[in-house]
Amino acid sequence: MIMITGGSFQGKIKFAAEHFNINKNDILSGENCRFDNVFSAKCVSNFQYLIKRLIENKIDPVEFTQKLCRDNPKAVIIINEIGCGIIPIEKSERIWREQTGRAGCIVAEKASAVIRICCGIPTIIKGEIK
Amino acid sequence: MMTLVTGGAKCGKSHYAEKMFENYSGRKFYIATMQPYGDEALSAIERHRKIRAGKGFETIEKYTDIEETNLPKNCGILLECTANLCANEMFRNGEIYDPTEKIILGFEHLKSCSEMLVIVTNEVGSDGISYEKSTAEYIKIMGKINAKAAETSDNVIECVYGIPVALKGRII
Repeated sequence: MIMITGGSFQGKIKFAAEHFNINKNDILSGENCRFDNVFSAKCVSNFQYLIKRLIENKIDPVEFTQKLCRDNPKAVIIINEIGCGIIPIEKSERIWREQTGRAGCIVAEKASAVIRICCGIPTIIKGEIK
Repeated sequence: MMTLVTGGAKCGKSHYAEKMFENYSGRKFYIATMQPYGDEALSAIERHRKIRAGKGFETIEKYTDIEETNLPKNCGILLECTANLCANEMFRNGEIYDPTEKIILGFEHLKSCSEMLVIVTNEVGSDGISYEKSTAEYIKIMGKINAKAAETSDNVIECVYGIPVALKGRII
């Protein structure tokens, strides 16, 4: 499993395309994909929004992520960093942030490499890539 | 040795900070700064307690005035976390104080008592949102405290989805 993280619009998808042979059709967006398809997708982007939708649909994000790691261990997961900043006043926002953190930690633990992109520049923070 | 551990929400900061003490054989203290008010604070405290159970920490609840904490010499100290400590010191009796110097003095006190000091803090300044005055002031003060604490730390570690990244010094 590969995890690519960083802020919004930093070049995460471009990096995935260049280094992991992923084209547009391989990418499932967490914003609108079917949940089932995540378990077989080559690449899932906007994983943070998938977490949000799982919470809205009363599906446990941690269990879902654990299943993803079991069933789709070669997936490339693209997830924004959303945990920094002031704790949101809105409870649902707090829960989303926390669950995204937990789910992201699970993916990062299983991933053979974790890459963080800032201004298009990758830093490999875990493992190595070819 | 002093290490500052930073990062956002649920990024594995505590887990990493606690792991640093795994092979520490001396007496070790956990300074808890979160006040036990409200359901979410209570459940967070409970969760952290469970994670810490059996790891040999003696817990000291100290919401403010950490410079007055009584500790033996040459111990291990894990303080969690600066974000709560700063809020507790800042917003007292309906007024706003700048606790930067006080908190830094507190850290110096902990450092003087310990062989190994780990301070967990929080990255609160990078969500790009403009807040009203008191929150904006809190973000500013947290930034100052983090920068000052980093100056005297041997290691500064940022946790990104559980992965420690060394900003200064090294990963332990």
